[in-house]
Amino acid sequence: MSGVGAAIEVRGLHVAYGGTKVLHGIDLDFAPGTFTALLGSSGCGKTTLLRSLSGFVPVESGSIAVGGKDVAGLPPEKRGMAMVFQSYALWPHMTVLQNIGYGLKLRGASKGDIAAKVSSLLAMLGLAGYEDRKVTAMSGGQRQRVALGRALAVDPGILLLDEPLSNLDAKIRMTMRHEIRAIQQRLGVTTIHVTHDREEAMTMADRLVIMNAGRIAQIGTPEEVYDRPNSAFVANFMGAENVLPLRVEPGEGSAAITAGEARGVLPNELGLALPAGEALAYFRDDVVSLDAPDAAAGEDLVVPGRIAARSYPGGLYRYRVEAAGRQITVDHAVRHEPGAAVGLRIPLSRLHIFPAAQASIPA
Amino acid sequence: MSISQRQLALLLVAPGLALVAALFLYPLSFSLISAFTGPQGGVSLDAFRKAWEFYSGDVLFTVVIVLASCLFTGLAAIIIAGTLTLGENRWIVGTLKALYRWPLFIPFIVAAQCMRTFLAKNGLMNNSFVALGLMEPLQTVSFLDWRGIIATFVWKQTPFVALLLAGALAAIDRAMLEAGRNLGASRLRVLVELALPQVMPQLLVALVLSFVTMLSVLSVPMMVAGSQPTMLTVDMAFRINSYGDYATANALGVITYLLSAGAAIIYLKRGMAAKEGAP
Repeated sequence: MSGVGAAIEVRGLHVAYGGTKVLHGIDLDFAPGTFTALLGSSGCGKTTLLRSLSGFVPVESGSIAVGGKDVAGLPPEKRGMAMVFQSYALWPHMTVLQNIGYGLKLRGASKGDIAAKVSSLLAMLGLAGYEDRKVTAMSGGQRQRVALGRALAVDPGILLLDEPLSNLDAKIRMTMRHEIRAIQQRLGVTTIHVTHDREEAMTMADRLVIMNAGRIAQIGTPEEVYDRPNSAFVANFMGAENVLPLRVEPGEGSAAITAGEARGVLPNELGLALPAGEALAYFRDDVVSLDAPDAAAGEDLVVPGRIAARSYPGGLYRYRVEAAGRQITVDHAVRHEPGAAVGLRIPLSRLHIFPAAQASIPA
Repeated sequence: MSISQRQLALLLVAPGLALVAALFLYPLSFSLISAFTGPQGGVSLDAFRKAWEFYSGDVLFTVVIVLASCLFTGLAAIIIAGTLTLGENRWIVGTLKALYRWPLFIPFIVAAQCMRTFLAKNGLMNNSFVALGLMEPLQTVSFLDWRGIIATFVWKQTPFVALLLAGALAAIDRAMLEAGRNLGASRLRVLVELALPQVMPQLLVALVLSFVTMLSVLSVPMMVAGSQPTMLTVDMAFRINSYGDYATANALGVITYLLSAGAAIIYLKRGMAAKEGAP
């Protein structure tokens, strides 16, 4: 069970359904033994990319090299990749043993070898003794474990996970995240995980690939993508959903930032890296705090506004604040009344600022 | 005067019930009674004795023909439905999809007529082989015997079975079939080991219905094959038309009925098993 992960090199991958282009030239490397999450909203092409890797979607042009060998023209059964499906895709007429052992049977393993391998996999998955159980008599979480076992039974170099946790309830999903990650690290199998769940991708993967409209928007570790998004799209997708229009004026060793009447100065490299002119700043609900409208700004930006609505999701109050002509969502511990005038205190260093022309994401 | 719900329900089903009674139950009971009535009246098995004496060979012939036709129909339907479900060549799948249902809309008697001109010694099939230089005119043989009956039945019933089977296969989660390919199974193995076991109930039901249909066809054995041996429907028609021997014809009818009852039991058992298996 010590499958060593295989390397994958994707070069210039173009995929189309009928006349509609879905992937526009993807270049991506997967190092052996890494866990990569393909993340994006519906229709961004992440599932298509996974399915073209596995051979279920024909490639229009480009190459997919596994261990140096181009597999783009091979049928799915010749690619040596094992896949776990969102719907589990277990065969209802077979027992757990038959489901997990099917790949081994195809490879000509003896009954004894199959039984031994399945037994050890079931022990690893916490399903010891379930061999003769019908898969239709199992819970969702158990079924997904069997599906994972079926994929791992053939000692694949590459494991493809197609939203495997989407059909599970929240609690089991949390447990399965950790289990899948632990098993992946133990076996060292190169894993590619498709998901639209940001937190799931962040907690499971070594590396995130954010996709948008058939192209790669950003590649990086969870920290890089979360803290340093390279575009307005990635910032917005990673949860920085508040948008504030700004003006950036570069000065000596710093940049002056104005949002309506509010002013602030970003010193050093942070300020110098900013584009001059009209810009949009993206930030998360939890970086903003509420202060008096005339509070001293210090190193922050204090934007005056008025509370439009308040709700209590638990722990903190969630406010919708009208400021600088925008609706800003703020999570804050102190209770304020709707209609109250407040100052939004936003640390300048926590803003993701992009030129207004590039940032086409609406507020 | 008000009528209860129960009476109203009876009143509503009465026309349908009367139709079933008049057009099905009455003739059925009449022929059953006739089959068990002796020449001098009274209960007797004479008609069955005669039927068995003259036509036991044809009973066997009928069973073998219909079972063989079911077998080949099942195979052909699996090939067609499997190609429709797992085929990757869009041209082949598209053409097959457009063509395979046609025989459904052709009556048995027309199908039999077509087969006569196709399978005869100097029919279209042999003429084509001769024209292609595959055989000499002297080598040609007629297929207008048991082989012709089976060919006609299979040609006529395959679309029906394939239609039900393709529907059942299309209802299987594609991911289940993809999971098989992903683990290394060829398309044939996916069809045989992963897809077909899941649609066996539907295949069996389609074959049972085909079995009963084929058992009751008169035109095909009459037009396609020679006189002996032949199927029970032809024998029944012969007893009535040539001798006015309703008793023997009805005895053969009862035998046919028992054969299709056997198929019906399989059908009902499947239905019950499916109900029990459902969550």
